[in-house]
Amino acid sequence: MGDPVNLRNLAWALTTMLKVILLFYLLRRKLYRSHPAFFIYILTTILMSIVVASAYRHWGFQSIQSWNIFWGGQGVVICTRWLAVAEIARKILANYSGICRLASRLLLAVGICALAYSLLASQNNWQKAVLNADRGLEMSIGMCLVSLFLFARYYRLPIAALEAYLAIGFCLYSCFWIINDSMYERWRASFGTLWNFLEILTFFATLLLWIRAVREHTEAETVTVPAPVSPEAYEKLSLEVNVRLHLLNERLNHLLRTEDSRS
Amino acid sequence: MTLSFALFITTALVLVFLLVWALRPPKRGLMSTSEVFEALSEQRHYARLPQILQALRVEDTEYLRDRGHGELIHRIRTERKRVALQYLERLQEDFEVLLEASRILAALSPEVIPMHEYERFKLSLRFAFFCRYLRWRLRLGLQPWSAFGTISDMAGGMTLRLEAATARLGERATMASEFPLFLEKGRGDSE
Repeated sequence: MGDPVNLRNLAWALTTMLKVILLFYLLRRKLYRSHPAFFIYILTTILMSIVVASAYRHWGFQSIQSWNIFWGGQGVVICTRWLAVAEIARKILANYSGICRLASRLLLAVGICALAYSLLASQNNWQKAVLNADRGLEMSIGMCLVSLFLFARYYRLPIAALEAYLAIGFCLYSCFWIINDSMYERWRASFGTLWNFLEILTFFATLLLWIRAVREHTEAETVTVPAPVSPEAYEKLSLEVNVRLHLLNERLNHLLRTEDSRS
Repeated sequence: MTLSFALFITTALVLVFLLVWALRPPKRGLMSTSEVFEALSEQRHYARLPQILQALRVEDTEYLRDRGHGELIHRIRTERKRVALQYLERLQEDFEVLLEASRILAALSPEVIPMHEYERFKLSLRFAFFCRYLRWRLRLGLQPWSAFGTISDMAGGMTLRLEAATARLGERATMASEFPLFLEKGRGDSE
């Protein structure tokens, strides 16, 4: 078994290499045109790796300068990640203008609630404000993506393979970050090196998923959207469906009430 | 500290579980727009309920009990349980088809009414819960067929109400669609 620090450095080098490969595929498939936010996000992570590596080399791993650069960079990366997630959501919902507005409001509310929940659940531990904020943002990304998938499932929205894989990658990465941050908060002293290693390993797995999705993506891959219906038809039929559903529900309620009054 | 740790780990695991659940392929294939309209216009299973329920009336078994046909009662009850479960399945099927049609309709509409969508979501949750509850009661042998028998009287009335409600809606929709046309004509005349 190798030295944990060497292992971490190896994983870091490999991850950076994968990021470059992904960037290459994004350029080759011209996906920087259709997915500019995702492209910027990958570019930012590569630049951050270089900046953080330089900071560690110059000031050392435990210095306050390196700490500031790492967490400052993390803030920038999370912001670009948020933009990439918003881009995916927009692409999934773009063809459905009616429910797109509904979903936007819902996802915004979910994101804010998740952030608030995360900060409240941290029990006002302001000494770890950076860690809490980071975890809160990851949680809001994870919750928004899960809500997006649930929303798409509920309304039977087709999702293109590329968007689906990108979203799955982001979501799993965010979920793992929540676990990783929480473990770091609890066992800080003994978990430091392992925390870094696990973080890199998670991103490594996510990058592999994204590379596969981007590599297999073809321009011909499109999602067929049925012809839209008029707002009048929607209003009429929507009301009609609700009446029918109400009656079915009422029937079930009568069954229950009669049964309860007899038993 | 321990509470927040547990909360975060649980939340992350729940998120992963929900993600996997949301990614499962759907049971039913995607309906086309024409299938949606067909689903909304055709007669559903619940319309045939009065005939089914008529056969489930509790008086039938009381009569047999008076005559001392214990085994026959048992057989009839088992059969009724099967029929009741089948009815619940059909009811759920009707509900799901309507729900599916409404979702596709909402997805294809350039504007949706959030209250309609919320109302439908609430109804679907309630229905799913109570349907499961009733099914388990049936399976556990809690004799819910007595309840089925009692509602047979109101089932016919319920179907009539449904038809009346749908007809009213149809009238209203026709009026609403004719009204702008009338206005349009009026404007044209004044020019």
